[in-house]
Amino acid sequence: MTAALVTTGPRRRTRFWASFAVPGVGWLIAFFVVSVYAVMAVAFGTVDPVLRTAVPAWNPLQWDFAAMSDVLDRVFGGDLGTVFVRTFRFVALSLAGCILVGYPVAYYVARKAGPRRGLLLVLLVLPFWISYLMRMLAWTNLLQLDGIVNDVLQFLHLQDEPHNWLDGNWYTVVFGLTYGYLPFFILPLYSTLERIDGRLIEAGRDLGASSMQTFFRITLPLSVPGLMAASVITILPMFGDYYTNTYLTSGSPKTEMVGNQIENYLLGTSQPQTGASLVLVLMAFLFVLMAYYLYTTLRQQRMAER
Amino acid sequence: MSVFRRKHGSARWLALITWLYVIWSLAPVLVAVRISFNSGKSRSSLQSPSFRWYWGDPTSSVWHDESLHTALFNTLELAALTMLIATPLGVAMAIGLHRWRSRVSTGANGLMLVPIVTPEIVFGVALFLVFTELYSGVPSGMPRQLIGHITFTMSFVVVIVRGRLVAIGDQYEEAARDLGATRLQAIRLVLLPLLAPAIFASVMVVFATSVDDFVISSFLTTGASTDTVPIKIYSGARGSSTPALNALATVMLCFTLLAVALAALAMRRMSKRGGDAEGMAGGLAGLSG
Amino acid sequence: MTSSRRDFLARSAQLGVLLGAGIPILQACGSDSGSSGPVADPIADGLEPEKGPLRVFNYDSYVNPDVVAAFEAQYGVKVEITTFTTDTEAVTKLASKAIEVDVHHSMAATSIDRLIAGGIVQPLNKSYIPNFENAFDALKDPWYDKGSAHSVPYNFFGTGIGYRADRIDPAQVEEQGWDTLWNATDFKGQVSVLDDEREALVMAMMRKGIFDVNTTDQAIIDQALADLSELIDRVSVKVNIEAYKNIPEGATTVAHTWSPDLINAYAAYLPEGTDPAVLGFWHPPAGEYLVTNDSMGVVAGCKNPVLAHLYINFLLDNEIAEQNFSWVGYLPALSKFDADYVIGAGYVPENLRACVPTTEEIEKGLYLKPIGADGDAKYTAAWSTFTSGA
Repeated sequence: MTAALVTTGPRRRTRFWASFAVPGVGWLIAFFVVSVYAVMAVAFGTVDPVLRTAVPAWNPLQWDFAAMSDVLDRVFGGDLGTVFVRTFRFVALSLAGCILVGYPVAYYVARKAGPRRGLLLVLLVLPFWISYLMRMLAWTNLLQLDGIVNDVLQFLHLQDEPHNWLDGNWYTVVFGLTYGYLPFFILPLYSTLERIDGRLIEAGRDLGASSMQTFFRITLPLSVPGLMAASVITILPMFGDYYTNTYLTSGSPKTEMVGNQIENYLLGTSQPQTGASLVLVLMAFLFVLMAYYLYTTLRQQRMAER
Repeated sequence: MSVFRRKHGSARWLALITWLYVIWSLAPVLVAVRISFNSGKSRSSLQSPSFRWYWGDPTSSVWHDESLHTALFNTLELAALTMLIATPLGVAMAIGLHRWRSRVSTGANGLMLVPIVTPEIVFGVALFLVFTELYSGVPSGMPRQLIGHITFTMSFVVVIVRGRLVAIGDQYEEAARDLGATRLQAIRLVLLPLLAPAIFASVMVVFATSVDDFVISSFLTTGASTDTVPIKIYSGARGSSTPALNALATVMLCFTLLAVALAALAMRRMSKRGGDAEGMAGGLAGLSG
Repeated sequence: MTSSRRDFLARSAQLGVLLGAGIPILQACGSDSGSSGPVADPIADGLEPEKGPLRVFNYDSYVNPDVVAAFEAQYGVKVEITTFTTDTEAVTKLASKAIEVDVHHSMAATSIDRLIAGGIVQPLNKSYIPNFENAFDALKDPWYDKGSAHSVPYNFFGTGIGYRADRIDPAQVEEQGWDTLWNATDFKGQVSVLDDEREALVMAMMRKGIFDVNTTDQAIIDQALADLSELIDRVSVKVNIEAYKNIPEGATTVAHTWSPDLINAYAAYLPEGTDPAVLGFWHPPAGEYLVTNDSMGVVAGCKNPVLAHLYINFLLDNEIAEQNFSWVGYLPALSKFDADYVIGAGYVPENLRACVPTTEEIEKGLYLKPIGADGDAKYTAAWSTFTSGA
């Protein structure tokens, strides 16, 4: 190892690895960073007086912060604050649901399924192949008053009367989000769990640990990176989701999420600056979450190096 | 040895949860497929069965409506191209960022995550603006949609692959290097096979995201000739679209199942060559020899 | 701990630099979107139609595909339909020149004046549109486009209450009017209002007897907001435009909705074995009845202007319009289609007679008109607060 280091040199090594990252980074700068800048230009820009379409202010010196300050007022202590808190609650609960259901499933498929693993993997990704909206429309069918869900629950005597699931309840939205994003949660977690060296677990058992102990002392800690990745991949898009709740509650104000407000401002009104400002606020908020993720992955990476 | 271990009760519970989940996840798919056989226009309730939306209806059925054919081909082409470009870009970026340590790379690490936190609608609007105001040289329609999908999905690949890279650690690759492999060889012969499940997962996520995306595609579409299936599904506003879309989705489901079956077969081959622990050990042995 | 926080700050700063890297390139670019002023002249008389394909811009499923096929057959061209989901989206896309289309099939009455002023649509040459004479007299010189210089009406409809007559007594709806929505406490979660800021807020105003539907008085808007918000807890109100399927399928019992939704419900969404008599529609009397219409126009600078005129003319043909109506459910704005005709021909059941606006109702109709950016902003703010459920 040391010999290799001497012959190649750290600089060349850096360049070698950098060359892998460069195309992707370049792509993101060209198409993503610049796009985000466009959002800022819209948020701090004006609208065309006649057509009311956005006129982006590309020059930061011409930025107008009126829409942003209005949005901030409403987020901190106004009506939009309610929407943010609600969104956060929905996402947190849905993540809990994803972990509760997704972890055992990923664990089973990755480590216990044996010869059925291939079949199960296909079944796990199968929902991907039918449009998300169509599945949500199908849920509205299953959940309606005389739908199958009520029939089953009544058959099992879990309830006496049909329950109106589509009444604009928070739990239906959490249910829908959990359902919709679970496949995205399970796959990355699966790939980590599948990777864990079985010998480590065997070793734990041989040293006398119970299966519970081996799980909590060995498997779970080793799967934390995958769990983190899976959580990031699922919750962040959830924050921008605006169709799941719309379809499952037919647009109840009780279940409105931030994404709905953004969508309305950008597509249904002549105030694109407000919509774009809201986008920036949401992104800033998510950035904090993301920074935490970044911080932990980097720390883990450093620990792995030692 | 583990074969003789008593089967634990916990495994049975896990199996139960998994199969219940599978049923839960597939029930709506079955309902969506069933709706495609509706004789009326409803897309959410069940009506008496017919093949109206497959070929019975002379104008609006999947077989007769050319705009649906166009949309289907556009969707598949877009998803396939996105997959082919975003996956290698993302995997390379994950590997590079995992090893490359410098101030720039830390920034790039952060940058890579921002697209994930960006809601689709923001992507749609932002790209729409950028292409109309700035990159007007990029041909409109499919090329723009492709760029949008790649930008949107690439970071998912990076996150999935990096999760796995962290789990793998550096030791296998170092071992390969010690045995005389060049860096590229070590990546190709050791790292990539180890990453296969993560790459497979990425490809799935990329394909699924692209196939399902309607926000970005619809912002960047130039008209009927670049519409995708999700655009068709989501655009039913005043009037209302028909179960022909469910029929189309069912047809797509059959197509993709076939593709998945093929991919799974290829994947099994690959993992036989070096995906699991034993195979990897064999790979290392081969290198040293 | 301290060092890691500093690390994080440094990293954020680097990200800031990266994010800022695009600025210099961007500064060089000016903005070229925006309005260019109205188009002065229509196309000349007697031109040959182009070879197409004709590109039509419309809501999804807002024209009968058989009608489109018939047009294709008659003129030997292909028609491509590009869809949009909201009127704002349509205006944005046309204004940015991001899409190339020939016909704008469904212009909202509230944005036609801006489409004209912004040079998005061109004046029509009526010599290509002889069927214009079939149009409703009341809409031949509409308030939004003097002399119909730039637009012809496509359809017309009004806003009322769609309901399940098997669950709520029609006499009760008749008596209570808009209050029906507020009184539907037995039907929690089965009540909806239109997902349209002005329609919904104005409905709340009309309930209180305010018929200046184009008011921008902040106090009135605030009161309407308060009244609407009451519906959230009282009846678990939903906000959508899907009454056309939710009422026949039973998920919705009372809905603030457009008249054609019930015709559509009858024609395509009633579950088998359900009596059409379960559908009901109520609207306020003439003079208090909010009506509107969508219009067709030719996009300025398009490639197939002659063909676009012919397409518009085609849709104004009485028989073609009837064929279109039978599929779309929205009444064509042609004088032939009065209530007696569409009921006699079986398109609309007698119990939904109220879904067909009469000439009197159209002439005395209340219209939502453009109220300027400031006026719209007030409604938008109120709407945003309502939908946030705060």
